[in-house]
Amino acid sequence: MLNAKLIETLSLIMIITSLVAVETHNLKRAAAAYCVQALLVCGLILAFAAANPALYTWAAVALVTKAIATPWLLLHYVGKTGVREAKAIIGFGPSVLIASLLLITSYTLTHRYVHFLAPTAEAAQGVFRTNLAVSMTVFALGLYAILSRRDAIKTVIGLCLLENAIHLSLVSLAPHMRETALVGIATEVVITVALLLYVIAGIKEQVGTTDTFELSELHW
Amino acid sequence: MPLHNEVASVLPLALCLIPAALALVTYPLTRAARALGPALNLLGSAVATALAAALMAHTMRGDVLVALGREFRADALSAVLVLIISFISLAASIYAISYMRLEPLLGRVAHEEGEERAERRLATFYALWQAFLATMLWACLTNNIIVLYVSVEASTIASGLLVAFYWDRRALEAAYKYLMLLTVGIAFALLGCVLLYASAAPHLADKTGPAAMLISDLPAAAAAIPRSMALLIMACFIVGFGTKAGIAPFHPWLPDAHAEAPGPVSALLSGVMIKMAIYALVRTLGVFFPIAAYHPVSVFFIGLAAFTMLLGGIMCLAQDDLKRMLAYSSVSQMGYIAAGLGIVGLGFGRELGYLAGYGAIFHILNHALSKALLFLVVGAVIYVTAGRRISQLHGLGRRMPATAICFFIAALAISGVPPFNGFWSKLTIYFAAAEARLWWAFGIALATSLLTLIAFVRAGFRVFWSEGDYPEPEPARENGEQQALSDAAKDPLEGDAPVAMLIPMVVLAVLCVVIGVFPNLAYPIIDPAARALAAIF
Repeated sequence: MLNAKLIETLSLIMIITSLVAVETHNLKRAAAAYCVQALLVCGLILAFAAANPALYTWAAVALVTKAIATPWLLLHYVGKTGVREAKAIIGFGPSVLIASLLLITSYTLTHRYVHFLAPTAEAAQGVFRTNLAVSMTVFALGLYAILSRRDAIKTVIGLCLLENAIHLSLVSLAPHMRETALVGIATEVVITVALLLYVIAGIKEQVGTTDTFELSELHW
Repeated sequence: MPLHNEVASVLPLALCLIPAALALVTYPLTRAARALGPALNLLGSAVATALAAALMAHTMRGDVLVALGREFRADALSAVLVLIISFISLAASIYAISYMRLEPLLGRVAHEEGEERAERRLATFYALWQAFLATMLWACLTNNIIVLYVSVEASTIASGLLVAFYWDRRALEAAYKYLMLLTVGIAFALLGCVLLYASAAPHLADKTGPAAMLISDLPAAAAAIPRSMALLIMACFIVGFGTKAGIAPFHPWLPDAHAEAPGPVSALLSGVMIKMAIYALVRTLGVFFPIAAYHPVSVFFIGLAAFTMLLGGIMCLAQDDLKRMLAYSSVSQMGYIAAGLGIVGLGFGRELGYLAGYGAIFHILNHALSKALLFLVVGAVIYVTAGRRISQLHGLGRRMPATAICFFIAALAISGVPPFNGFWSKLTIYFAAAEARLWWAFGIALATSLLTLIAFVRAGFRVFWSEGDYPEPEPARENGEQQALSDAAKDPLEGDAPVAMLIPMVVLAVLCVVIGVFPNLAYPIIDPAARALAAIF
């Protein structure tokens, strides 16, 4: 009933888009990569919806909040703060290497030892296992972006990746969750992103940069 | 275990909805309604306090109030938190009437952007305050594990712009860290909530329905969750809700946010928001408390708590900025509360659990009172002098005697010196640590109290007692709060802070002393909460 080939292909492209979103120094391109990824999340949820019709609502929620609202916010604020990303802590070459290693390790580990993450027997099998492995890999990449990037907008993109991963993992972990709870989770992510970008625009105005290393007034 | 007497009631719903409705009313207020902002804020907090007292009256009789088909559930533990949150919000909202006056605080904004913008901003401030209050109460009253995450994250969203209120370099930096770190942290909590929900669902009677999402149903299924999964879930909760509660090493957002927010907001953040987070942590982690196999997790958590106390205590001693000193002291005191709650895990269902739970909940109350008071006191110092560095302030005792007395009461209370309230709760936690034979935790807790005492007496002596002229306004104005105040105070204020600021300070100080002298006064409200926490009936 579930199209395993389709799900695996979408998952693979999703991992690649995360890598692009993390590694590109052009913030507009990163936002675009994020948007593609969000569309893939919708596609994946739709693919799973064949087995569980409740997921059609989830796909719609993801489309509105993740594929439309969030990229629009990102592009709007990137237009205000500048397209070039502030220099990352780790250079491009090493970073691609680290991210790829992280990706392979994380995918292999979560794929092979999925019972650590899978709360039910069903979630540990077939496409549900693939889904969990992809989610956790994207989660790890998002966390890596937040920790290793100096540009504030880039850390927000990392946060978006991380939240996409959690949203996708719910398909395997909690497919029977109520829509109200889901809408709550998805809406809050968009509001948080909007607030963060609003504050970052304020920082750009007051400090003149979005480089978080310049934010050194407060330490200790 | 006798079943609770569950009573359907609108109280839990009303507690969340009234402040939320007031937020919606306050936000569009404009010119004509300038005076209504603080009044509505006061009204919202006062109504919440009254409802919380009514809720408390029910839970003290042993009832558990439920609403919307048990989606909302208030037991004695929720009631204590709800009462503390509403009461501190009430005290801070009285204080804010004077402190957040349009003239001095928004003078700069009014000057640069026009009076209309300044008024707009103040209306937004009060609307966010009510939204913040509503989300905190919601987190303490919800019985749905996913909604618990949603409400805790909502409180971050509501308070983000309160932290950034002054919109200067420091406030923006603090707000960025606040929103980013808490959202990442809380994402882990969401993962924990979802895993717990999903792994408990097959073991509950109603397999796919909403029942599995109700926190009060989960303990029944906890024993059936595989060990590796349970450990992962607990780790997610400790990282997630622990970040919001300021548990080290996840605390770095706390000193920034608590120090850069406006005074009354700092009192809310340090006084009650982090308590709400530790409540969420104990509600979720507590699902596994009845299982003896997970005692090592409790011991690990107590270790983390001891580290938090010590780190907070040392950092508190190293600060020159008064507000940062208070913020680090909050980190340290959250360590005591967390240690108490960890011991509840060890002694669940036994006298030890009750003793530790009593100490932890009592300390939540005492720390809320004394830390809110300290932030209000320091706010008064900033209001009068536009300075907040210990090294640049001296001899304020003669000029602000009431503020000085309040400071010393709160400082001694927070350091655990008799006859103030903090002494009793810390003593109870020491006893619990000794009874659990956790001597290392006992030693660290005692040493940290000494550090706290040294830090506060040193700061208090310097700021209020030592000889010297009144401070000059700081040459390098670092903070929007100070800048706005010192710009406005063309003539430096003579005498103490305004009466509307002094009243809540004095009330909190009196409570610190009264609970210290008559600790049994708190028994009727703490005892049922500790029983509910440790499952002793």
